[in-house]
Amino acid sequence: MTDAPLIRVQNLHKKFGKLEVLRGVSFDVKRGEVMAIIGPSGSGKSTLLRCLNFLEQYESGEVLFDNALVGYRRDPGGKLRPDSERNIRQIRARMGMVFQSFNLFPHKTVLDNVVEGPVIVQRVARSEAEDRARRLIARVGLADKESSFPAQLSGGQQQRAAIARALAMQPTAMLFDEPTSALDPELVGEVLEVMKALAAEGMTMVVVTHEMGFARQVADRVMMMDRGEIVELAPPQVIFGAPTSPRTAEFLRRVLH
Amino acid sequence: MGYSWQWQIIWDYRKVFIRGAEVTAELTVWALLLGLVLGLLLGLMRSSRLKLLRLPAAIYIDAFRATPILVQLVWIYYALPILMGVQMGNITAACVGIGLHEAAYIAEIFRAGIASIHRGQSDAAKSLGMSYAQAMRRIILPQAVRRMVPPFINEFATLMKLTTLGSVLAVNELLHEAENLINNTYRPLEVYTALAVVFAVLIYPFILLSQRLEKKWTMHE
Repeated sequence: MTDAPLIRVQNLHKKFGKLEVLRGVSFDVKRGEVMAIIGPSGSGKSTLLRCLNFLEQYESGEVLFDNALVGYRRDPGGKLRPDSERNIRQIRARMGMVFQSFNLFPHKTVLDNVVEGPVIVQRVARSEAEDRARRLIARVGLADKESSFPAQLSGGQQQRAAIARALAMQPTAMLFDEPTSALDPELVGEVLEVMKALAAEGMTMVVVTHEMGFARQVADRVMMMDRGEIVELAPPQVIFGAPTSPRTAEFLRRVLH
Repeated sequence: MGYSWQWQIIWDYRKVFIRGAEVTAELTVWALLLGLVLGLLLGLMRSSRLKLLRLPAAIYIDAFRATPILVQLVWIYYALPILMGVQMGNITAACVGIGLHEAAYIAEIFRAGIASIHRGQSDAAKSLGMSYAQAMRRIILPQAVRRMVPPFINEFATLMKLTTLGSVLAVNELLHEAENLINNTYRPLEVYTALAVVFAVLIYPFILLSQRLEKKWTMHE
């Protein structure tokens, strides 16, 4: 194990048409670190997260995952060229992603959702993939729901199943895109518990969230974003205790009342 | 006005209807197969990010939807041999013509079905490391196909009725047989009515099946 960061983002830029969503973002995520990304809506948090596994194509700058450039390769002249689909897929498979709207496959049972990635992408034998899936499903507390279809589950159960599905790929890092924002308030806790347990096991996590309690308790560092830029990146004690930026202070005042 | 209906002749000539129905079914099956395979291909091309694939599919679909199928059939049967030396039998020509025509409509059903699947589904598939083909085959199409059943059954009923146009190529399908029968019996009202009943008997089971499937599949959504 080296001390090199697992994820390194350098001067990242992204536009949607004329709108600049990311305007030169740079940061590192260390192995085993939990980073929370907070900020007002439209600040580019989700886009940034989606650039990390190249679900969103960035125009300039770099994303490095485990020292490998994500989405591009350098030609001999040093210019960036689009990478092959295959390489992009391989890197993607090493980052689990959890979405705001769960995005479970509605035509498959919980078990089949969790088995899908390992069997289809990693070519793991079905029986082995099922063993792995059952352990993960039990771990997120859904052992009695493995034959249920997503529509038969509550939002919290669906999101926990989605976490199990991402973990089944045995990822090196996990990306969470507002994982509790679509949930009824009373279901938020059960999802956060699963995420806390994951963090405690040393999983590297990047979490876009509106749950300030989670960011404060679980994150090693909190990134405050606004208008496509990092406003502040510091340990939670600093962000929540004594933010150096007035924009952070203002944002927190609004969300914490 | 004393028109005396003579339904007896329908029974007397029942073999004509059965023979016609067989040919109609044959036309339907082959045209449908061609329409489905080509329609899926065109629908996928039309949904592609690449203009190189999207444009030819769009041109094909628009061309076949904007021109009368009657002319398309006549072209395939009479003009292709002159232009390209391709001579097909009349049944083959009818199958190909109807299949090519229906492919344009079926392509649009596929395209709309694929477009109706929430983008989060392909995001989730991609985030697991799936390729475009894997995501289509395992995640997007199985869901899209379920939503496509009602419009697809519509198209199927249309297709079966379009096979009557085979009569212009002298294919002995139901309409052609019926018209021959009218020429012999001078009972157009009875014969056309019976023709409608035969079509209904052929098509209705599929409408029922579609309703069953819809019920079964909406349970999990």
